[in-house]
Amino acid sequence: MSATAGGNAPATGKFDRLWPLVALVTAVVLFALIMSLAPAVLQRRATQGLINLTAVVGLYVFAGNSGLLSFGNVAFMAVGAYVSALLTMKTAAKSVFLPDLPAVIASAEWPTFAGALAGGFAAGLVALIVGWPLMRLSGVAASIATFAILVVAYVVFGNWTAVTGGQNSLMGLPAYVGLWTALGWAVAAIVIAFVYQETRSALLLRASREDEAAAQASGVDVVLHRLIAFVISAFLSGIAGVLLAHFLGIVRVENFYLDLTFLIVAMLIIGGRGSLTGAVTGALVIAVLTEALRQSEIGIQVGKTVIAAPPGLGDVILALIMLLIILFRPNGIAGGREIRWPFGKRQWSEAK
Amino acid sequence: MERFVQTLVDAVSLGSLYALTALGIGLIFGVMRLINFAHGELITISAYALLALFGLPVPVMLFGGILTAVVLALLTERAAFRPLRSADPTTLLISSFAVSFFLQKLLILVVGSRLKGLDLLPELNRQTEFLGVRLQMLQIVTIAISAVLLVGLTWFLKATRLGLHMRAAAEDFRMARVLGVRANNVIATAFALSGVLAAAVSCLIVVQTGTVQPRMGVQLVIIAFVGTVIGGLGSLPGAALGGFLVGAASIMLQALLPPDLRAFREAFVFIAVALILLFRPQGLIPARGLKERI
Amino acid sequence: MNAPAPLLVVSGLVVRYGVVTAVRGVDLAVGDGEIVSIVGPNGAGKTSLVSAVAGIVAPAEGSITFAGKGLGGVALEDVVVQGIALVPEGRHIFASLTVTENLMLGATIRRDAVAVQADIERYFAMFPILGQRRRQPAGQLSGGEQQQLAVARAMLSRPRLIMLDEPSLGLAPAMVDRVYDLLRAIREQGVTILLVEQNAERVFGLCDRVYVMSGGEFGLSGGATEVKNDPRFDAAYFGVHMRETADLR
Repeated sequence: MSATAGGNAPATGKFDRLWPLVALVTAVVLFALIMSLAPAVLQRRATQGLINLTAVVGLYVFAGNSGLLSFGNVAFMAVGAYVSALLTMKTAAKSVFLPDLPAVIASAEWPTFAGALAGGFAAGLVALIVGWPLMRLSGVAASIATFAILVVAYVVFGNWTAVTGGQNSLMGLPAYVGLWTALGWAVAAIVIAFVYQETRSALLLRASREDEAAAQASGVDVVLHRLIAFVISAFLSGIAGVLLAHFLGIVRVENFYLDLTFLIVAMLIIGGRGSLTGAVTGALVIAVLTEALRQSEIGIQVGKTVIAAPPGLGDVILALIMLLIILFRPNGIAGGREIRWPFGKRQWSEAK
Repeated sequence: MERFVQTLVDAVSLGSLYALTALGIGLIFGVMRLINFAHGELITISAYALLALFGLPVPVMLFGGILTAVVLALLTERAAFRPLRSADPTTLLISSFAVSFFLQKLLILVVGSRLKGLDLLPELNRQTEFLGVRLQMLQIVTIAISAVLLVGLTWFLKATRLGLHMRAAAEDFRMARVLGVRANNVIATAFALSGVLAAAVSCLIVVQTGTVQPRMGVQLVIIAFVGTVIGGLGSLPGAALGGFLVGAASIMLQALLPPDLRAFREAFVFIAVALILLFRPQGLIPARGLKERI
Repeated sequence: MNAPAPLLVVSGLVVRYGVVTAVRGVDLAVGDGEIVSIVGPNGAGKTSLVSAVAGIVAPAEGSITFAGKGLGGVALEDVVVQGIALVPEGRHIFASLTVTENLMLGATIRRDAVAVQADIERYFAMFPILGQRRRQPAGQLSGGEQQQLAVARAMLSRPRLIMLDEPSLGLAPAMVDRVYDLLRAIREQGVTILLVEQNAERVFGLCDRVYVMSGGEFGLSGGATEVKNDPRFDAAYFGVHMRETADLR
């Protein structure tokens, strides 16, 4: 293997293999550091951006490695959010909003970290149960079926008034998620996603992405590996849901439905669904973009008038960008590749 | 007894609505392997066309609704889906998702997100007596229109040249093209037909609910998608059956479930769907000879 | 031997799929009214060659000329309009459509409905089994019947050139004889035939000229009898690859 830089030579040294992880974590940490110097309002936006990043990384773990899109990850976010909320809310708050809660849950006042983990694991468990029939479906059918997960979650959480408050907002959650907590979990998510995608299971899954039939003929248990990716993906999404709930301090089932699904999917597609770099890039780029669009909707004062974009324009532009990316640069900003060491003399690493 | 017949008619009526929606989706999937999320927006925007034309004679309104849906369908095909014709199914799915949201958000930008009232054909919301049972006119009309459209579509597919081309393209797109079947014509026809079906569903919903709002198509279409999956992706009879079963099951469950479980009926329907898929992943009426796209 | 006017001329054709080169620069000529055959083992590139002529894949290099007109850039749907019909490997009949519907699809480019019906009846007369099953889904036919259907379907566009990719695949010898008889009858009608086969033996009795293809290249070519008796035939058929794999023993 030649030592000169050349597009597709596989990685050898540990440095090359770990570089994407280092680069992405550094980028995210830098982002947080820069934002910590900004006014409080922007810091809150940055926190939300990091939470979204966690969610996008979660979606990537499944979508990027299996080649199938899941529309159900926001449901896992909801599972994480509600489970953590129920376990960490003070009993007094629970008795106000959820008077019919079973005593065991009503009296639980878990530490926030344990609650977060519980949320993640609960989401993973749901994914395990639900994923088993779904992963046996062929490609696109599985994606459509994940929509069903989203709808079922919406219906169940929206109507199970005793446990979730139904259509009402569940308020009074410990709002412990600030910039640094979100950063910590975001970094953890990136590390988990990276470690997972280097495993044999993930490699086999990516092989099946190109040609399902060939992979199965070679004895690869595609269903099993898809399920593994699905569960890990759900865990991370669950964590993201926990973060969102404890950032806002409330849980509303409306927040975990189509609009959030679109946002997360758009971030992944725009960044590039084929690589972890793509997921992180998409999250960061969209975070900056939505902030810019939000500012434009507030408007700039020119003399006596305020020039502002009409509300809702931001969403239209986001959808348009997503469409343009699909049409003209379908692999997204990252182009399906992981970030490379830019200074020659090393060998490229490529996540296919 | 009367209650039972009413529930049955209710089930058939909603089932027909979902069947029509699922057919619109299935037509396009058949020729292009594209799940058209934007079908929901066809329904929604067609309804807004009705709103815009309110005051004109009803036939003009209806024609306007159909025309809007068909033109919009053809536009989305030309602009967003034709360039992606050879893309893999997941990319197509994502693109239709993007188109759907783009249209929805654009609509909200233009008309706002609140619902608006539209009093279309209120006379259909009266009750009437049919074979000694009190039923809603609208349900009978829904069933009748669905039957007509179903028969019409079947006739078109079986008896016309273009219909034959579409059936051939749905089974083996490349071979059809080798024989001279024009890809563009077949796909455009599928989109146009789906527009007609969307407009029909749109009218019926508007008459039933008396309102128009930017999200009205989305909920319907999500459920119809799941219906096409259990019916068998790629098969038109499967799509219609799957859509019908999901709609009908929803009504039957509402009638049969105890009151505190009724709100969860959609969850039950989907769980039933999951179970069916567990034992029959290819769907109830699988498509024959499902071949790769070119 | 007097070579008839060339109907199909392929020159320097290269076909690639990503990094794999399936056809490595071949030259081919098929004269008007001839039966020309391309024989070679699996993976020789025969199907890729025929697919390029049919417009299914775009060649990386080279030119294809039919009846004096260049076929480069002609859309897939228009190739049959030019007068080339394809019976692909595996036949690709429409299993869910009836026998009649399959035949009608063969006549997609024709506007003369009455003549099309007459043609269809003629094929039903030639193949009574097809006639009997005219309203049945074509998927219920046997392999041999499907092959007859596929050929009849291709002929319904009234092509000048018909290309068949391994029509004998999976058929019993008696059935293959019948298909080859059909090809002779087709040639009588003045249609030119390009036949791709793995089994060279059978082909020699049918065709005028043969090209031997292996590893994406033509190793040998000439009149049928010449090539059949040529001592270099085996080497040409198994090609360079035989030399390479001999070391595996």
